[in-house]
Amino acid sequence: MEYAEAQAGAVAGHEGGASTKAYFVVFGTLAVLTVIEVLIPTRLGFPKNVQIILLIFLALWKALLVALYYMHLRYEPKRLKWMVIAPLPLAVILVLAVLTEF
Amino acid sequence: MTTHAAALDRGGMDATEVGMGVYNMKLGMWVFLLSEVMFFTSLIGSYIILRAAHPDMFAQPGEVLNVPLTALNTFLLICSSVTMVLAFAAIERGDQAKLKAWLIGTALIGMSFLGVQVFEYIQLSGHGFVPSVEGYSAAGAPLYGTTFYTMTGFHGFHVFVGVLALWYLVIQAFRGKYTAANHGAVEITGLYWHFVDLVWIILFTIVYLI
Amino acid sequence: MATTLTEHAPHADAHHHELSFVRKYIFSEDHKIIGIQFLFMSLFFLLVGGLLAAIMRWQLAYPTDPANPLPGGGLFPETMVNNGIILPEFYNSAVTMHGTIMIFFAIMPLLVGVFANYLIPLQIGAPDMAFPKLNMASFWTAFPAGLIMLAGFFVEGGHSSAGWTQYAPLSADPEWTGVYAGQQLWLISMIILGFASLMGAVNYITTVINMRAPGMTWFRIPLPTWALFITAILILLAIPVLTGALIMLLFDQTIGTTFFASATGGEPLLWQHMFWFFGHPEVYILILPGMGFVSEIIAAGSRKPIFGYAAMVLAIIAIAFIGWLVWGHHMFQSGMNPMLGMSFMVTTMIIAVPSAIKVFNWLGTMWRGDLHFHTPMLHAVTFVAMFVIGGLSGVFVASTPVDIFLHDTYFVVAHLHYVLFGGSLFAIFGAITFWYPKMFGRMMNSTLGKIHFWLTLIFFNLVFFPMHNLGIAGMMRRIYDFTQYEYLAPFQGLQMFISWSAFVLIGAQFIFAFNFLYSLFRGEKAPQNPWHANSLEWTAAPSPPPHGNFAHTPTVYRGPYEYSHPDAPGDYWPQNEPGPAAPAPEPVYAE
Repeated sequence: MEYAEAQAGAVAGHEGGASTKAYFVVFGTLAVLTVIEVLIPTRLGFPKNVQIILLIFLALWKALLVALYYMHLRYEPKRLKWMVIAPLPLAVILVLAVLTEF
Repeated sequence: MTTHAAALDRGGMDATEVGMGVYNMKLGMWVFLLSEVMFFTSLIGSYIILRAAHPDMFAQPGEVLNVPLTALNTFLLICSSVTMVLAFAAIERGDQAKLKAWLIGTALIGMSFLGVQVFEYIQLSGHGFVPSVEGYSAAGAPLYGTTFYTMTGFHGFHVFVGVLALWYLVIQAFRGKYTAANHGAVEITGLYWHFVDLVWIILFTIVYLI
Repeated sequence: MATTLTEHAPHADAHHHELSFVRKYIFSEDHKIIGIQFLFMSLFFLLVGGLLAAIMRWQLAYPTDPANPLPGGGLFPETMVNNGIILPEFYNSAVTMHGTIMIFFAIMPLLVGVFANYLIPLQIGAPDMAFPKLNMASFWTAFPAGLIMLAGFFVEGGHSSAGWTQYAPLSADPEWTGVYAGQQLWLISMIILGFASLMGAVNYITTVINMRAPGMTWFRIPLPTWALFITAILILLAIPVLTGALIMLLFDQTIGTTFFASATGGEPLLWQHMFWFFGHPEVYILILPGMGFVSEIIAAGSRKPIFGYAAMVLAIIAIAFIGWLVWGHHMFQSGMNPMLGMSFMVTTMIIAVPSAIKVFNWLGTMWRGDLHFHTPMLHAVTFVAMFVIGGLSGVFVASTPVDIFLHDTYFVVAHLHYVLFGGSLFAIFGAITFWYPKMFGRMMNSTLGKIHFWLTLIFFNLVFFPMHNLGIAGMMRRIYDFTQYEYLAPFQGLQMFISWSAFVLIGAQFIFAFNFLYSLFRGEKAPQNPWHANSLEWTAAPSPPPHGNFAHTPTVYRGPYEYSHPDAPGDYWPQNEPGPAAPAPEPVYAE
């Protein structure tokens, strides 16, 4: 895959990072995923729970693509990746813990 | 050889060797974005919680909100992300002309996004979908309008700030401030812009489609 | 990557021009000046908060008693104090604003605004913060926030009176408190202050990660900087949640949304969750820096290495991270899901473990040390003692069944003042006296300092210890006139005792204020390293340090607490002194 090759020598950040081609591949993927997303509640007759799971999965996939390729997280030092992931559990804990209340 | 002093003066890109392995401005932007994650968690999380508490007070997708229009808006924002990243790729090669072109493109798409959102707000409030208890006459209950406008409004505000930053970059680009060796401002504005896009991806799914 | 190990060019050379007065002292980008600006601002707010406490204590000593009108009550408008009687509305806003101002405009800026700004670059050997302009913006955002907060007292309807926790729906609907503009100013001020804290936090985190001097490995960073770094992370992630909640509350107040109004589908409990999700990390924001300062002072005052440096660091990190999982212990009485309450109780009990580790390590540091009880050391040791009392009463209220009884009583008031005053504020007094010579180039007067210390220690305990008893007896936390309850009326004698002790306590603070101001001009000239400490601000920079801090970026050879080391030439061993047994500096920044 185009993405994987680009990873070499990425310690210093973007240098030798993603190529223009990768940006367009990601763009295409995002567009296709968005179309699928819009179809799920309107055209495809899944039960509501399945819809929700599918939609969340697709949204996270898209978000991950943006973060990894457009925000170049894929080519950043490992320490920065860890730092970025760190607050996500807190966000999940906040929402899930309060959800049990209602 | 880099000095802290030089790093300080320009938040310069020459400080890539220190600490985290990225220069100060970029690290600072990432740190700031982490706090933005928590901010949007508080807004989106409140929506999720309130909706779970009162499922009857919210409408089904497409019932009140205009999904096709917003799908277009989502597409616009994705386009602006790709133009932004192309602007960054251009200046990495030192290509001034393309930098300017892609930056202007990004800013214009960002403004179209805001335009569509304003149009959407006007249309929705015409149908009685307003943020306040008073005057609410759409499907669901005022809680729906309350959460919807707060979330999308704050996202729109972030886009607005991003557009301002982009025009600032355009001006600086025309002054020839950015080079292949020094374009930290383009990169960190890009990070912010993509983050705003990322938030919209989540917001679009949760608010419009679920 | 080895480039960073070579000597760096002096920063001062890069800027040879003299700065104008305004750029140097008012809109300054120098982290030291900004820290000092925060110091003056927050000491002023400490005074305001103290006066509000005095008003509350007068009401509690002589509840609505025409025979004992509030001294100076005539200065207040009739809507606040009528014929010397403090009106209930004003009492409520005094309670609210005492909490708000002390927490957000006095203690938090004193700990973080002052010392994070002042100490972090000096202790890690950096010439300034990573983003000096952002740092300046941080102060000049916090300052207007303070003015807006003060403005609330002068608007019609008085200041916010929903308590510092601003529980909805009391805060959401102006009908309940009769406060309109004041409540909104409160919210706006807090949102702005949130931005200021955020800018600060981004700066501190980036600086500590990226700007350390060569050789300053993570485990050679002095404990104050460690504590401030972790505190900055807490601020970074907690404040936005509060800001989100404040914005929702402001919308409920102004544009008629319904986030927290239960009649139209809102959830008041959501406010409590969001507030305390911020609020509990906030508690650690208010104590962790104090722990850092105290560690520094106790090691220097005992002439011994800090006992278990790594354990101290890990305990700070553990407290900070477990601190995210305990917010519900403020809400045991909110009717929350009992399963959730149980989980919060367990996590809260667990957090006592790292806290106890820290206490043992401070005691271990002092054990058989060569103790020097100078003023900062007295405050630091008191911090440990008071923190233990506050921590133990914390274990009481952390337990759900006990909390049913103690919730919202004076027991909680006693508990929080033991950690916030006995803990944080003693640490702050210690820290100010400890770093004063570095900040201003002069020593604070030791005799006045000790008089202030003893008066504060004695009267602090006389004020707050009896409050435990009041709480157990059922005295409510924010009550205006307790004598309306037959079972509380007999406590009026004790209330008067507490109040008069409080007045002496507040009066004693003027000794500190006098000492602070007097020493600015008449204090004894301070040497570079008056406490014979090891960290870079003492060993590599003069008092006060010039713009740019260090003539040459120092290289660090060892940890900050090498006191009485057998290989050292003296009883202390500066971090930047190449020594016989010193290992070659490791490259800090390598992957």
